[in-house]
Amino acid sequence: MVALLLLATPLTGCFGTGMPREEVIVSGSTTLLPIAEVAGEMFAEEHPGVSILVSGMGSSAGIESVTNGSSDIGTSSRELKESEKETGLDDTPVAYDAIAVIVHPDNPVTGLSTMDVRAIFSGVITNWSQLGGPDMEIGLVNRDEASGTREAFAKIIMDDARFDIGAVILPGTGQVRAVVSEVPGAIGYISLGFVTDEVRAVAIDGVEPSEEAVISGTYPVQRVLHFFTRGEVGQSAAEYIEYVLSPAVQETIVRDAGFIPITAKEALGD
Amino acid sequence: MTDPHGRDEATPVSAGSGLKMMSRATYLKEALLKNVFLLCAVMAVAGVALIFLFVGYRGWPVIQNPGLGAFLFGAEWSATYGKFGIAPLVTGTLVVTIGALLLGAPLAIGTAVFLSEIATPGIRRIVRPAVEMLAGVPSVVFGFFGLVIIRPIAAEMTGGMGFGALSASVILAVMIVPTIATLTEDALRSVVPGIREASYAMGATTWQTIYKVLLPAAKIGIIDAIILGMGRAIGETMAVVMVAGNAPQFFKGLGAPIATVTSQIVIDMSYASGDHRTALFGLAIILFMISMGLVALVRALSRLNAKRS
Repeated sequence: MVALLLLATPLTGCFGTGMPREEVIVSGSTTLLPIAEVAGEMFAEEHPGVSILVSGMGSSAGIESVTNGSSDIGTSSRELKESEKETGLDDTPVAYDAIAVIVHPDNPVTGLSTMDVRAIFSGVITNWSQLGGPDMEIGLVNRDEASGTREAFAKIIMDDARFDIGAVILPGTGQVRAVVSEVPGAIGYISLGFVTDEVRAVAIDGVEPSEEAVISGTYPVQRVLHFFTRGEVGQSAAEYIEYVLSPAVQETIVRDAGFIPITAKEALGD
Repeated sequence: MTDPHGRDEATPVSAGSGLKMMSRATYLKEALLKNVFLLCAVMAVAGVALIFLFVGYRGWPVIQNPGLGAFLFGAEWSATYGKFGIAPLVTGTLVVTIGALLLGAPLAIGTAVFLSEIATPGIRRIVRPAVEMLAGVPSVVFGFFGLVIIRPIAAEMTGGMGFGALSASVILAVMIVPTIATLTEDALRSVVPGIREASYAMGATTWQTIYKVLLPAAKIGIIDAIILGMGRAIGETMAVVMVAGNAPQFFKGLGAPIATVTSQIVIDMSYASGDHRTALFGLAIILFMISMGLVALVRALSRLNAKRS
């Protein structure tokens, strides 16, 4: 990034188009980092003279920075708190982040309640027979603490309960999926967008995980990812937000990152 | 290194020997080369010193927070809750290392005995490069092999998911075989031939010669080899991360997930900040001290060996 800027500065100086290099500062959620960053690079390619500076410091820091004006856009994987609502930030939802709880395809347990899932991942329930399944030990598969999925799962499902420390920790969605698909007693969680036939996503509180259920809000293990702005937004920042909401980004980058496009809502005719 | 044959005293041609019969150009070239090589050596030393200073500088605040006792003997490593006790990680490293040595050392020493005492030159030409090639296999490949092949077998044996001490030990055992085998073979070969011949001349069988004469004679060299293999097992990261399960809990059985010092560093480093980051550097200091200890042990042993022979 720095190297690019250093290279770009003398160039604009020499060929003097007279257009000052404009910067849009985007900071906040690490969950949104892949979307904001890749979209930023593509946007900058199409709009010479604009650079999108993306950083991930966490949702709270993002909201704080857009509130005090040090960022143009604050990204967040959580809703505003009551105290933050008073600051008059404008909310643009950009994607749904839904998490599927996955088990081995042969596991007869097809549905769990939120409380079941919490009890399983905190190590209170350790055998499938406690959930109406076969007498089989539950193999807990968790993500590493750097994972945005783990963070979301902890917030939505775990509440104050602690993860069982004896769970296998795997550093990637693909690994979690592969292990759950091979071990009959395993349970794990991954972004809904990454679920394949190798594993089965269980219904939570009676709701099968699907794009429709996420958009209608009935599937409980989900959250909305936001872009927050404050007051009058600069032209480039506005164009960038519009770009992120365009099908070019929503159907490619957002889906590739395992999220559900916010635009899917309109497609459903809601 | 002193000259092993005790000759060459009469022909002083080495640098600094006082020989002055050379042209100015040659002299300059010699001086330049001497300094180039000096620079190389200094760089290696500076590299170690800089890494040590950097890791030490970043890691020493663990003495204040969480405090040396809580750091070394704390039973819980949980970044979310700000707990940085490394006891489960250190015991994890210990368990997989001991497991790897129990499985790997006999295998490696057996290989070395076979290569040096039993194999015909034809077989040796095939086996030795194969063993050496094992050392060149990238650790991520070992890890992948462990994940796909060893883990399911371990799962069958232990009833868990297969992630844990057993899988990690088996993979590490394979990884340390070339280190231990190569060095043990060297040690066996450096046993004075007379001893071997004397044993056979006394009517000893091959097995008796190996067991009663050669292995005791090469003992220190073999211990050296095992210590270096141990160093490799302690430091190995990638393969361990892939099969150990990375749960920072105390050893609960061969099939239960476990974390080691190195695996925890690699799992955590991408997002650690503040005290957490300091604690990771603290872990690096521990690794540094372990490896320095091992090197010191090897050096002490080879001094002992030199004194004996």
